[in-house]
Amino acid sequence: MSGGAIRTAARPVAADGAVSFLRRQWPWLAALAFAVVVPWFSYDWSTGRHSGFIVSMLSQIGISIVFALSYNMLMGQAGLLSFGHAVFLGLGGYVTAHVLNATKGGAVPLPLELTPLAGALGGLGFAIVLGYFATKQRATAFAMITLGIGELITSCALMFQTFFGGEGGVSTNRMTGHSLFGLGYGAPIHVYYLIVAWTALSVAGMLFLTRTPLGRMANATRDNFERAQFVGYDPRMVRFFQFALSGLFAGIAGALYTLTYEIVTYDTVAGPMSANALLMTYIGGVGVFAGPVVGAVLIVLLQSWVSLLSNSWLVYAGVLFILMVTFAPMGLTGLVLMHQPIWRAGRMGRLVGPYLRLLVPALLVVLGFVLAVELCSFLTIGAAQGKSFTLSRITIDPRGAGAWLVAGLLLVGGGLCLRAAMRGFGVAWSAVTEDVKRAEVRA
Amino acid sequence: MSTPALRLTDVRKSFGSTAVIMGVSLEVAVGSRHAIIGPNGAGKTTLFNLISGRFPVTAGTIALHGRPIDGLAPHEINRRGLSRSFQVTSIFPRMTVFENIRCGLLWSQGYKYSFWQLVGGQRALNEAAARLLADVNLEARRDVPAGLLSYAEQRALEIGITIAGGANTILLDEPTAGMSRSEAGYAVALIRRISAGKTLVMVEHDMSVVFDLADVVTVLVYGQVIASGPPAEIRANRAVQDAYLGAPAEVA
Repeated sequence: MSGGAIRTAARPVAADGAVSFLRRQWPWLAALAFAVVVPWFSYDWSTGRHSGFIVSMLSQIGISIVFALSYNMLMGQAGLLSFGHAVFLGLGGYVTAHVLNATKGGAVPLPLELTPLAGALGGLGFAIVLGYFATKQRATAFAMITLGIGELITSCALMFQTFFGGEGGVSTNRMTGHSLFGLGYGAPIHVYYLIVAWTALSVAGMLFLTRTPLGRMANATRDNFERAQFVGYDPRMVRFFQFALSGLFAGIAGALYTLTYEIVTYDTVAGPMSANALLMTYIGGVGVFAGPVVGAVLIVLLQSWVSLLSNSWLVYAGVLFILMVTFAPMGLTGLVLMHQPIWRAGRMGRLVGPYLRLLVPALLVVLGFVLAVELCSFLTIGAAQGKSFTLSRITIDPRGAGAWLVAGLLLVGGGLCLRAAMRGFGVAWSAVTEDVKRAEVRA
Repeated sequence: MSTPALRLTDVRKSFGSTAVIMGVSLEVAVGSRHAIIGPNGAGKTTLFNLISGRFPVTAGTIALHGRPIDGLAPHEINRRGLSRSFQVTSIFPRMTVFENIRCGLLWSQGYKYSFWQLVGGQRALNEAAARLLADVNLEARRDVPAGLLSYAEQRALEIGITIAGGANTILLDEPTAGMSRSEAGYAVALIRRISAGKTLVMVEHDMSVVFDLADVVTVLVYGQVIASGPPAEIRANRAVQDAYLGAPAEVA
């Protein structure tokens, strides 16, 4: 067979392995390199400091990537919709805070670099206990149980003062004086690099898991849990192990959260945090391993940048979510992947025109929508805050009819054009895909 | 006589007040090819569901090689060496053909729920999967998502998944249903090949397939066995002809 040929050809095994590893994993390595370099773009050489805003945002991206990927271990890989995933982030965070405080007191001389292990163990431990109940069921019943667990732990967080610290949460200090590299970790940039390292480890770990027997059987039970039973697997145990490991990684995300903010409060275990995981994962795409990474980056950027510009960033995030679920249920990465066969067949050129025709009316609609939302926002919140609505030095009066008329015109006019353009795009798209399919059949 | 591969003793099943299986007793000899036939609604698929643990029995016992299996979960029954296919194709549609076969192999090769080794690096596992892929003649479709296969290919894949775990007792539920003549002919050859040395029980509507493959035929009508024996005997049986096969001329 071909085995012999491969064996003789593969003399420099190590070098070959490295090359094929690079060839397969270069996007991840490039992303890692980018993560290492990117804070230096905001470095202020005159003061010798990094932009606090950028570093904090990048740290949050790292935390969110781990959190969203761990969520997708359930959602995308095992087909389990959880409404309580933040529980494991939060509990991992609380455990880390307590371990940090104990380290500070000298009880456990754990180097700061390794404290995410405490979060991982915390997340794993609680996921084993709570997952034992949650994974008894699948589908809707599973979702309901996780919703209940989320509510339960949130209310516990307010009741059990010693562990959760009540409404004030648990404060801590990451400058424990224990470090493998003698670092103080006073500067956020130090913590950022710690986050980069742990995010890289976690991403690699979760990618590894997708290629193990458990990871494959998680896919199998997602696709057809009955068939999985008839090849000897207990789907419940598959769910359980997957749930426990996903809790472990959520716990790491929680530990990184604690190291960044040095405080953990009950809202880290609460519903909105769980919803955030769902939002990031869904917008990025549940069907592709890297999907949640894209979603995490996008949502944190939205959160950080748009919230600086507008009071209404949540409206935009919500509308984006609805649009994605409606028009692109496979998420952004799914949208990109849809173009793969067309790209391979070298037919992308034929879509440029239709995309441009789509872009112009889409921009008009977005503009009209943003204007309308901002006008509303300035009528209510903005007025209360005493802000005025200015666009490049032109002050817009939200009470005047003019701005509303423009918004209405953009929405209606742009919407009508968009509808026509979408129809045209649909025709062009199916023509191209048909063409690609025919070419494939011929080949 | 040696212990039969399967022994059903007065098995009954009711859904609410509706009795579907009304006291079926049946023995399937080790190494035989046993066909279960009967009109629609006779309870053939239900009987398969009871044997494979998909539904619990209402009364009666089912033994696999002498050991009772009624009351066990499907995966436990599967681990004891009984595997089945479904009437409506049951595969993992979003995974590739190769991945489907490999998932069928994992448990029997002892991987269980392991999450510390890569499936890609398991040489024996991948070679076994490749062999099976060749057995069911799907090598050319190795990396295609199973959901995109043609119907006949999906049926072949399902048979591949069913035999992957090395079960010695195989239940096939209408393996040639919905196939063209030539496809069915191919499927029969495949079934003959893969069932060599194993015990095969199948539900089948296509009489030419039944009389071609089976050593023993059991006729199920309204949840009861009305006849059981070699194909020639069943063909000649008057009760069977009346209840199921119609006029003798049609059978011959």
